[in-house]
Order: sequence, then C-alpha cells, then structure tokens
Amino acid sequence: MKSAFATLLLTTALTFPGLAMARQVTMTTQLSNYGGDGAYVALYVTDASGAYAGSLWMAGGKSKYYKHLTDWYRATGGDTAQINGITGASVGAGRSLEISLDLTDALFDAGYTLHIDAAVEDMRDSPNEVVVPLTTEGAGTPVPGRRYITNFTYDM
Amino acid sequence: MKKALAILIASTALTATIGFPAWSAARNDDDGFGQSVKALFRSATDSLPLVFVSDKHDDDDEHDDDHRRHHDDDDDDDDDDCDDCRGNARNPAPAGSVAPPKNGLFGNGTAPKVQTK
Repeated sequence: MKSAFATLLLTTALTFPGLAMARQVTMTTQLSNYGGDGAYVALYVTDASGAYAGSLWMAGGKSKYYKHLTDWYRATGGDTAQINGITGASVGAGRSLEISLDLTDALFDAGYTLHIDAAVEDMRDSPNEVVVPLTTEGAGTPVPGRRYITNFTYDM
Repeated sequence: MKKALAILIASTALTATIGFPAWSAARNDDDGFGQSVKALFRSATDSLPLVFVSDKHDDDDEHDDDHRRHHDDDDDDDDDDCDDCRGNARNPAPAGSVAPPKNGLFGNGTAPKVQTK
C-alpha cells in the first residue's frame, strides 16, 4: 500500500509540472469579404527583442506562395521545417479560421508578440496584418486587421 | 540539193501541222482550249492552302522549354505539382501527419485542432 502511494505521488509530481507549463489556446481569425481567392495566413511569434521565435500556424499548403507572406518569409527563409505539422488549408473570404493549440506558458506576459501575415492571389500582400502582444490580459479582446482580416482573438 | 529540199519541206510541214494550232490556241483566249488551260492553272492556284511560315527552328524548342522552366510565372497554376521536381523546397507536412515543430512554443506536442467556419 505504501509503495503504491509513493508511486502515485511520484507520477503526480512528474506529471504536474508538464501540465502547468502548457495551456490550451484558441486563436480565431475572421477574414473579411475581400472578394478574392482563399487567403494564405501565417501566424508566428517574435520575442521581446523582435527576433523570430517560431511559427504557430500556416494556412495554405503550397510552399511556392510563401514568399508573398513577406515578413514570415524574410524571418524563416521559407523554411518549411518551421511549419511541419502546423499547416492547413488556405482560408476563404468571409470565413473564420479557429485553431486550438497547446502552447507553453512561457509565451504569455514575457514580451512575445504574435504576428499575422496574409496574402491573396492577384491581390496585394499584407505583412503584419495583425500584431498583438501575447498577454493573459489581452485574451478575449478582438484585434482588428489591416486588409484581409476583420479581427483576431485568442482565448485561453 | 534534192535532199536539202526534202528536209526543208518536211520541217515546214511539221511546223505547220503542230505549231499553227498551238499558236492559234494561244492567241484566242475565248476558245475551249484556252479556257481549259487557264482553268487548269486557276483551279490549281485556288485550291492551294495558305501556309504560314514560321521563323522558329526546331532546335529553339528545347531552349524555350528551359526558359519557361527557369522563369516560371507564379500565376501559372499548371505546374503546381512540379514544385518538388524542380528541386524547390518541399511543401510542409500537414497538421496531424507529424508532431508540431520543437520550437519551444508548443507545450507537449499535442496536435493542433483546426476548423474553418
């Protein structure tokens, strides 16, 4: 009985930090009716110094179009290894893209900023369509986009 | 002398027999022979198709293909499936097929969930 209890304590102690370090975050991007083809959308994060920290999502699966996501492309060199496993379809005009991600706690209230680049075929590229600091306070507050995105919200 | 006279008579007769009808036919366009000869050439001319002659040579074709390969326009979608075969970067693995990248942003490697409404 004692050994079983000790094992339970040990596994709980090992598991809890992992759970505490990550949180489920839902990011919702509402696109406007811009009257064009599906938009390529890149969500990525920069750290407190403005340096690229990593990508969170890529909407659009053909790498040949990534150069139109200009800021993301400049930061990554178009390296598709950055978005393996976090890539989905492009998003049509007027549609809403909802992504649920398991993100580390260290991302919030630590000076990280989320950026969204957007591009539509035969239309103007729109880097930094949305720029929003990742804070617990900012959760649930819609942030307006510049060209193709009506607003962006993250909830946790 | 007799022989020369015989040759002269023969050649004159031959000329008169063959040359005169031909000369008269050529002079009179309205008769049947002239019409038929003209019709022969006219119909042959009319039936010839117009042929556009290209200044491109066959050996340019390969060069053109190379040019197209190296300077492909992004607006052209017919080479969508050829990104990999040109040696460009491969398309990324879609969500769910592999774990998210280990960039320090993701918690425990759980696959993201996505829906479009």
